[in-house]
Amino acid sequence: MARSLISWLRSPEVWLTSAVGAKVWLRGCNQVGARTRTFGRPHIQNQGRIVIGRRVRLSSRWSPLELVTGPEGVIEIGDGVFINYGTLISAYARVRIGQNVMIGNYSIIADTEIPGIGAPPGGPLMEPRAVEIGDGAWLATRVTVLPGTRIGAGAVIAAGSVVAGEIPAGSVAGGIPARILRRSPAEVLSVSGHAPAAGPESGPR
Amino acid sequence: MSVREVLGAARTAFWLRACDRVGERPRLHGRPTLMAFGGRILIGDRFQLASRPVPSHLVAGPLGVLEIGHDVSIAHGAAVAAFEYVQIGDGTSMGPFVVIMDTNFHGVSGDQSVQHECRPVVIGSHCHIGTRVTITRGATIGDGAEILAGSVVSSAIPPGVCAGGARARIVGRAGEAASRWDGAAAAIPELVMHAFGLDAPPDLSTPPFEIPGWDSHGVTRLIAAIGSRFGVSLEATAVSDAFSLGDLAAAVERKRDSRSSPTASRT
Repeated sequence: MARSLISWLRSPEVWLTSAVGAKVWLRGCNQVGARTRTFGRPHIQNQGRIVIGRRVRLSSRWSPLELVTGPEGVIEIGDGVFINYGTLISAYARVRIGQNVMIGNYSIIADTEIPGIGAPPGGPLMEPRAVEIGDGAWLATRVTVLPGTRIGAGAVIAAGSVVAGEIPAGSVAGGIPARILRRSPAEVLSVSGHAPAAGPESGPR
Repeated sequence: MSVREVLGAARTAFWLRACDRVGERPRLHGRPTLMAFGGRILIGDRFQLASRPVPSHLVAGPLGVLEIGHDVSIAHGAAVAAFEYVQIGDGTSMGPFVVIMDTNFHGVSGDQSVQHECRPVVIGSHCHIGTRVTITRGATIGDGAEILAGSVVSSAIPPGVCAGGARARIVGRAGEAASRWDGAAAAIPELVMHAFGLDAPPDLSTPPFEIPGWDSHGVTRLIAAIGSRFGVSLEATAVSDAFSLGDLAAAVERKRDSRSSPTASRT
């Protein structure tokens, strides 16, 4: 029975449209890695630079993904990243997303206070502050990442959180504003993104 | 039966074709996505689901059961994923952009294989779920409870209460003005937390004397904070005589009422 889910994701039409879609819908990006796929049509407004790595999966299935850069903005998305539908990523300075990061639906990651398509013309009202998300981090549903935030490698952000400041590697954070709910075990996740033997056993609830 | 009604019924049946059971007279606005990957979707009578402007989707995983009671209405942009068991009770209504999931869809960081860890979600009957509420695995919501907009529910919410926040805690009784976001019951735990330097806001059922570091200085700070937030001046005895923080919130609400309507002789 589990095969029916996998077979749908690997069905010829999804296989084909996601691969062809990436070529078509991501043509506004400066660099797109091999085997990157898009599910549905993302909205892309690129005045700066958007670099997408290999094997990235971008979903716009029920609500479009938005990638927006200002004139000097850079969005860097690492290899193997998965971004779910309805997410907004906006950069007027720099937003860097590491390898194998997972981002839940309706998340907002922006380095300015008023992000997105339809933001005030003439650039941001406040100085943009770069956002960095480390390798292997997991942002659950509807996480808002505020300007200047740094999320460490392997960190887990609980659903509905608003993140500001610095989240240490391997920790679990949640709430508004996000506080550390659980520190990482001594063996912090390796940069390559392998789960530790005694990692956070369940993630956020 | 007119041609229009027949076409409407056929259209509804088409969009709900993935369901194992659909009750009488379902109403759809727009085109939802319902997918049962070998799981079961069971829907009661008079089900209402909006999918305009943002489509809603209801998904049952390979071993999942999604059970929806009678008279349930769900607004647009809803995302419901049942990979083990999700139940929505009779007469429950939900605002736009509600996300309900009983799975985390994958293991923790880096591990991209689909490793579900599921815990059932049970939502009682006649609940009101606000706009943009996220309900994560293992959550249970009692009958008649009210969840305020933007909340994240990840634990057990008892019947008949109003809960809110990320993650949601009890802020009062369902259907009462005091337990809205701007009500005293919602704000007082936070004010107490700041006045007494606590790490977390206390529960409304906590008696004042059980709060760590409860002393006259803290009470003075709390009364000043309540004064600046709600514009009412409480006596120190009103604070110390309260059986619980919920009682204190009720006292603040009574003061607010008598101030806003001075002719009413309520004390």
